[in-house]
Amino acid sequence: MSYQPPLTIDQWPRAIMHVDADAFFTSCEQAIHPELKGKPVIAGKERGIVAAASYEAKKRGIERGMRLFEVKKLCPDAILLPSDYETYSLFSVRMFDIMRRFSPQVEEYSIDEAFIDITGMRRYFHSSYGEIAGRIQKTIEKELDITVSVGVSLSKVLSKIASKHRKPNGLIIIAGREIHTYLSELPVEKVWGIGANTSAFLKKFGIYTALEYARKDEGFIKRYLSKPYLEIWHELNGRSVYPVITEPKDDYKSISKTKTFTPPSSDEGFIFAQLSKNLENACIKARRYNLCANKVIIFLRTQEYKDTGIEIRLNRPTAYPLELFDLLRDGFKKVYNSRALYRATGIVLSGLKLDNNIQYSLFDDTVKIVKMNRIYSVIDELSDRFGKHTIHHASSLPVKIQAQHEGERGDTPYRKNSLFKGENKRQRIHMPVLNIKV
Amino acid sequence: MQFLIILTISLTGERLFAYNHFMVNIANNKKIQVRVKLISDFYRKSGRMPSFSEIGQLFRLKSKNSVFKIVNKLEKTGLLKRDHKGRLIPLSMKQHTKVLGTIEAGFPSPAEEELIDTISLDDLLIQNKDATFLLKVTGDSLKDAGILPGDMVIVDKSLNPVNGDIVIAQVDGEWTMKIFKKRGNSIILMPANPKYKPIQPKNELKVAGVVASVIRKYK
Repeated sequence: MSYQPPLTIDQWPRAIMHVDADAFFTSCEQAIHPELKGKPVIAGKERGIVAAASYEAKKRGIERGMRLFEVKKLCPDAILLPSDYETYSLFSVRMFDIMRRFSPQVEEYSIDEAFIDITGMRRYFHSSYGEIAGRIQKTIEKELDITVSVGVSLSKVLSKIASKHRKPNGLIIIAGREIHTYLSELPVEKVWGIGANTSAFLKKFGIYTALEYARKDEGFIKRYLSKPYLEIWHELNGRSVYPVITEPKDDYKSISKTKTFTPPSSDEGFIFAQLSKNLENACIKARRYNLCANKVIIFLRTQEYKDTGIEIRLNRPTAYPLELFDLLRDGFKKVYNSRALYRATGIVLSGLKLDNNIQYSLFDDTVKIVKMNRIYSVIDELSDRFGKHTIHHASSLPVKIQAQHEGERGDTPYRKNSLFKGENKRQRIHMPVLNIKV
Repeated sequence: MQFLIILTISLTGERLFAYNHFMVNIANNKKIQVRVKLISDFYRKSGRMPSFSEIGQLFRLKSKNSVFKIVNKLEKTGLLKRDHKGRLIPLSMKQHTKVLGTIEAGFPSPAEEELIDTISLDDLLIQNKDATFLLKVTGDSLKDAGILPGDMVIVDKSLNPVNGDIVIAQVDGEWTMKIFKKRGNSIILMPANPKYKPIQPKNELKVAGVVASVIRKYK
């Protein structure tokens, strides 16, 4: 028998809390439509697939990504709603605001997930870390009417294990001396950051659970695995290495824009127009962050969820669609198959660089580039004032041949159709609306 | 139009008259408002008044004669005047911060101090931003309390109801908006319209929020 180090730490060198909203999109819907509580609710009607399902729907076997006709078979009484991203975003912002009342160190990990560093807050609140976590959870439930699952532990990886342990509305605290009891039952591939390939590799060494992984010695990890896995190993052992990052994300490694349309189409003009709109959208976002792309990836997704794509390398980074359309058309011709039915198109801009240090070559037409710069800054200014795509490229026009989604009229969220006096299609009051008849 | 409000404080009596007169004009004229803003922005940025050709650029006018006409108009309203060489001198062109800084020496403007203790409509109507929701009224059961169908109510979920509050509540499965009344140990939900009867919850009462304000926008 080899020596097994006990995984026990008596103190709290760090206290990290992970908050994960339960079925976030549908919980928001149930909060603003209280009559839907306790019913199987599904968001994503406008896309033809399940974007989110309430716990009542999940119990009936409905999963994310399922197509809606399958849903109707499984659960004919399911309530299908178009996604209302405006409301979800408002709830998300409020959820983070509530957390910041308890600690300034909040990392907005995704729209419905956050890490909070509550180290040292015990004295201030006169309560234990578990009680603080409970108060955050209860405040969110009272003020927003949605439930969240909460985990508290010594590191980010452990707190994430804790919050996943009991969903929904769970509150699990993994103190230093209890780490091993939670890790012994957890398959190693369920640990945040360990994927299918790594776990298959680890199984070759007889490592099946998170505890077996955590108990390996440092030499083993260093010899067979790379740095991220060493960090996970430290985190599992209760030594926090991942900081809670409070700054909002403002640098991007890549920007991608994808759009699904229903029904699927094989119309060349329409699909190219979708792609052209993707490109415009991606470039708008790149310009917003003063970035230029070196590489453009085009992809088309068929009805059978098969992707075909092509990568285009540019000799000079740019964020102006006008410079890219010729290449886009060439690339599109290579991947487009007239017999296939497509359901989505997408663009990825990568190799991003700040636009203030671009090296022009001898053959670049700098006059033209300066002109383009002027045109696009005017376009962006107009979009700011009058809405996105106030001016857009003619090649994106054919997207209007077909509504983005079948039966589009009934599929816009309720909020966009029921306006208060003074609101318009583009600007509404920055507040969620309760849909209760009183 | 924040700078206009501040002007009243810095103007002398006779200018005040001009200003009031001007306000009638300006309030009805969006175009002038925009132009005044452009000039005062220029003044704030560069610390001097624009020349005629610069005004032309600001307003996107090619003809200096049109600029001349506009300047004449503005001069009449007391916003600016011309010196003997025809250059522009600002009278009430200054914006917010500038006005406060150019008051005659020795007498600090009261404006800065006074404005510290003002709040926006948002702050007035919303106490706890994260727990506040909107609701459109459909029924008339609170008609006599001044809440009519189509009104926008602001609901605060963080408040616990006290006697006399207007609440959004679920009573035995039905949603309603009524006045929350405590009678001893029991709770009664009162309407404010003789057409409706008070509701006494039989099994369940769930208060979803307290109405903090009502908004009715006419225009």
